[in-house]
Amino acid sequence: MRSPSPSLAALAAAAALVALALPARAADPVPRAEPVWLGPKAPAHPARVVSLAPSLTDTVIALGLADRLVGVTRYDTSPEVKDLPRVGGFLDPSPEAVLGLRPDLVLWLADGGAFPAVRRIAELGVPVLALPVVGVPDVLRAARRVGAALGAPAAGERLAADMEAAVRAAEERASSLPRRRVMLVIGRDPLVVAGPGSYPDALLRIAGGVNVVKGERPWPVYSLERAVADDPDLVVDAAVNEPADTIVRLGAIPAVKAGRVVRLPDDRVLRPGPQLPAALGQLQKALETGR
Amino acid sequence: MTRRRVLLALGTGLLALLGSMVAALLLGPQPISLAAALAGVEPDHAILFGLRLPRVILGALVGAALAAAGVALQALLRNPLAEPFVLGVSGGAALGGTAALAAAAAAGPASVVGAVIGSGASVALGASIGAAASTALVFALGRIGGKLVPEAALLVGVVFNAFAAGVITVVKVMVPPEEAARLLYWLMGAVGYASPGTLVTGAVFVAVAVAVLVAASAQLNLLSLGDDEASSLGVDVGRSRGVVFLAASLATGAAVALAGLVGFVGLIVPHLLRRVFGPDHRILLPASVLFGAAFLVLADAAARLAFLPLGSEPPVGALTALLGGPLFLWLLRRTERSG
Repeated sequence: MRSPSPSLAALAAAAALVALALPARAADPVPRAEPVWLGPKAPAHPARVVSLAPSLTDTVIALGLADRLVGVTRYDTSPEVKDLPRVGGFLDPSPEAVLGLRPDLVLWLADGGAFPAVRRIAELGVPVLALPVVGVPDVLRAARRVGAALGAPAAGERLAADMEAAVRAAEERASSLPRRRVMLVIGRDPLVVAGPGSYPDALLRIAGGVNVVKGERPWPVYSLERAVADDPDLVVDAAVNEPADTIVRLGAIPAVKAGRVVRLPDDRVLRPGPQLPAALGQLQKALETGR
Repeated sequence: MTRRRVLLALGTGLLALLGSMVAALLLGPQPISLAAALAGVEPDHAILFGLRLPRVILGALVGAALAAAGVALQALLRNPLAEPFVLGVSGGAALGGTAALAAAAAAGPASVVGAVIGSGASVALGASIGAAASTALVFALGRIGGKLVPEAALLVGVVFNAFAAGVITVVKVMVPPEEAARLLYWLMGAVGYASPGTLVTGAVFVAVAVAVLVAASAQLNLLSLGDDEASSLGVDVGRSRGVVFLAASLATGAAVALAGLVGFVGLIVPHLLRRVFGPDHRILLPASVLFGAAFLVLADAAARLAFLPLGSEPPVGALTALLGGPLFLWLLRRTERSG
């Protein structure tokens, strides 16, 4: 105890030997850019599909293929899937519940938190389509890829084209709107805002607004002082799960004090999926009103 | 006489471990048929052998390591409240493992260097070094006037835990969000879905540490009498204590690397066994290894079953804390009265 260093060195050496004797596990291939398949190849027309994200459930419904779904997350609220079994959450899917449904395709919105569980599902012989969805191009690509994976490439193409048209229409409309400086509030306690690289930031850009939040993080926990200094023209309240009146806690921000706040009716701007046109509509309405 | 009692303890321990493993294999949110699973029918086969069996093995390894480390630390500190989680040893291990993961993220997880640093073995190594460093700190700062004061050491451990948690929070803010999610998942004490390679690495770490502790169990009897008594009975106190301390750190480091922060196993299991088998470490230590494994296997099965009412699996660490917190307070009150 008085001089543990020689033994400590011996321990470290022994452990290093163990470490070297075993092959290091390959770096976690959490897909970050391109959609990838994990596990075996899926059948051409999967009939038992489990969706591990509400936005992917929305995509399957929008493709007109809701009857293929056999399991969804506990956050799914669409009437088409309200009677389906729940397999856990977006961050904590239960592999046992997923396997129990005997799926022939699992749709996964790629995320590091759930990766160990999803990797195990794929290792046990279930085809998993991992879709990294961050920006608007990812949403279009996800519609095409999910359509193709479900054996309905035409429907996927149509859904993507519809969304693309909505994006172009929104861009046109944006050119006639004033360039307002906006802060998108995602959570209040602590204050979380949409930063560059987040989905709402991409939508805001298309809708014709300017995000006052700069930096590198897509979902920064923001200091109220910074928010006051940024002095946005408009605050968009996307914290729809928190009571509307608690926005007064942010009263130090001049726009909030002056009542230049628009509360969104639902969480569409946070669901990167076929709700895209509606989300753009919500944001443009917010940019026009509350002036 | 002692031999018979050792055999009795080992026999009941093995039975308890086997029983808990069978129960944990059969229990889960998804009802499965054993006959179908053994016949290779899907999804029963995959659920039993692909999901439940690896978790049962992982739980047994972690439980065995933490219970053995608890007995060893209790003997060294001569206090039944000593436990890897309470003493800050788990916190140090979490800090070491976090440092390894953060270094992997900094090197780029896709690069070869990043992959090696981020591998299960490196995280276990980092966690073991962190555990050893925090144990050294607790024992060094827990001395007053050259004498080890158990209460002071426990207090140092509690404060170090809070410090480690603070540092980990800062690291979580600094690494990319993807890595932070991975870190959180690991730290919250979930017995999850380790790869076979990670399981083998963990098994080697735990086996070495537990073997050293079992071999040293007779010396633990003497060490728990006090330094002066032990050395007058011919024990090289510094050396024996150093060996036990390193083995307990290795066990804790491996456990934390495998399953994150799972608290109080090293408190609950040895305490119950001491009441049944008495304080002789030659019996208590091997029995704790087996019953510790059985305990965590059952606790993890309970966590899995909680999916049915909750719709989500609570980390097994939450369950052990639920049991261990009250027990710790009760032990504290009792120690106070008898002292």
